[in-house]
Amino acid sequence: MTPNRVQRGSNKKRRVPLALLIVPVVLVAIGVAILLALRGGDGAIIGGGDEPAPPFDFIVKPAAAVPTAPDADETALSASAEEVAQEITPMIDDLYTNAYLDPSNWRHDDYEEVFTAFAPDAAATAEQSLETLTLGATAGDVFDTVDPGKSKLSYQVLFDPDGEPDTAVVSVIFRATAERKNGTYLAIVSEGEFFLGQIDGWRITAFDVTREDHETHPPSPSASTSASPSA
Amino acid sequence: MSMLPARRRAALLVALVAAWVAGSALGATQPAGRASAAPLFQLEPAHAEYVPVLDGTKPIYVLIIGSDARPDQAVESQRADSIHILSINPAEHRAAIVGIPRDAYVEIPGVGQNKINTALFYGGPDLVVQTVEQLTDLKMDYWAMTGFASFEQMVDDVDGLVVDVPFAMNDEASRAFFDPGVQRLDGDNALAFARNRHDLPAGDFGRSENQGRLMVAALAQLKKEFNKDPARMLIWAASFVRNGTTTLALDEVLDLAFTGTAINANKVENAVFPGGTGMVGGLSVVTLNQETLEKISKDLADDGLLKKANVPPSPNEPLLGG
Repeated sequence: MTPNRVQRGSNKKRRVPLALLIVPVVLVAIGVAILLALRGGDGAIIGGGDEPAPPFDFIVKPAAAVPTAPDADETALSASAEEVAQEITPMIDDLYTNAYLDPSNWRHDDYEEVFTAFAPDAAATAEQSLETLTLGATAGDVFDTVDPGKSKLSYQVLFDPDGEPDTAVVSVIFRATAERKNGTYLAIVSEGEFFLGQIDGWRITAFDVTREDHETHPPSPSASTSASPSA
Repeated sequence: MSMLPARRRAALLVALVAAWVAGSALGATQPAGRASAAPLFQLEPAHAEYVPVLDGTKPIYVLIIGSDARPDQAVESQRADSIHILSINPAEHRAAIVGIPRDAYVEIPGVGQNKINTALFYGGPDLVVQTVEQLTDLKMDYWAMTGFASFEQMVDDVDGLVVDVPFAMNDEASRAFFDPGVQRLDGDNALAFARNRHDLPAGDFGRSENQGRLMVAALAQLKKEFNKDPARMLIWAASFVRNGTTTLALDEVLDLAFTGTAINANKVENAVFPGGTGMVGGLSVVTLNQETLEKISKDLADDGLLKKANVPPSPNEPLLGG
């Protein structure tokens, strides 16, 4: 069967209609353009895209080691606790950037990246606490801009009797100022603790977080930490 | 459509399919619908938490052993001055504590009839576990043990235990000198409170109940501190691992500690197996009340909890009543 087909194909040369080549290409291009415009990605053609997230890093206090071995070398554990803190901090920076600062997330109620920091059991509860752990589902309807403020992390790292890091508790104070579309300002304050264990890298296994937002004044020009899109 | 030539219709169809496939591959062509949850802009504090407490329906039994080892002695090869079954019902976030008088005259596997506290001397914590399992028909999941010095250190590591001392104590032997009422006991005083039996009307029975009272106090304090500062749990867990001897792995300690933070200490039943005292071959011993022993053990085996109806009268009742 197969040799026959090859022979038929080689003997009979078909002329492909021009429309069959051009129309799909044009329509695909239009489809992609519409898609990008609606999604607001960096490559948006219609209406421009979201500005990038403002640069943000927590201020990190020295980490504390909590040993479980009676004869633990506390100096070595302190150094190891600092390493754990350095390893985890970028993840917490990203968590809060994705949850509060990245316009492409909060403008579009797209917080999926936030929950990658959580272990599966904790993620299920975190996703149900979206309004507390992120800027919220309707933030895009309410806010124009969100600028980070002075935010701090402190670590306590529990070591197992062999001196290996087992559990880290990160205490977080996150502050940001959000400008509403009506010109008023809201101070965003997220405070709490995250427990992290090693599950395919450090992941949040427990959390206790409180949001205590309050009205605030517009930031003075000199004190502004507002990031320009090019920052 | 029907007016178009067949070839053009085919071309358009192919084009539409291509556009749809391109759109599908790159993502939805419009944002997903927004959640209907109310936005958090009402300026009310909001709270989110996830605590990985154990929630299985099988009860967890932990045998807690207090060795009478002095600071220069190995805790495993002395006598067990305090023996308690801590029974946890994870699903209901409840627990019970049952003390076994140290002088209880029981069958020790491989040893014969003797005081239960000698099981530690003859075969370490494992033999104490076997003895208790044989006595109660309850299968212990873990054991944990402390000595005098390690108990003191454990209490000091958590900055003392807040205990409601139920009645005045004035015992020179244990150095327990307390007025009744809520007070924070440091390690030294907590040990004195746990050891006092001379000025208790029921002696070791009353002491065993007071040791259970310390455990309930610890549970209440862990929960209170955790609610205020969750990171405090690490201090408790680390102190337990550092000072105790246990079959629990660190992660199991953390699991139980998380579970402990969910338990309402006010609802923990604290009981002691009742019995009578007597002499056997020159030994002052306790003969356990077999009927009550079986009733309590069966009750614990059911769901890990102790029904109020099965809690025997407090051995300290004369003091509590006064």
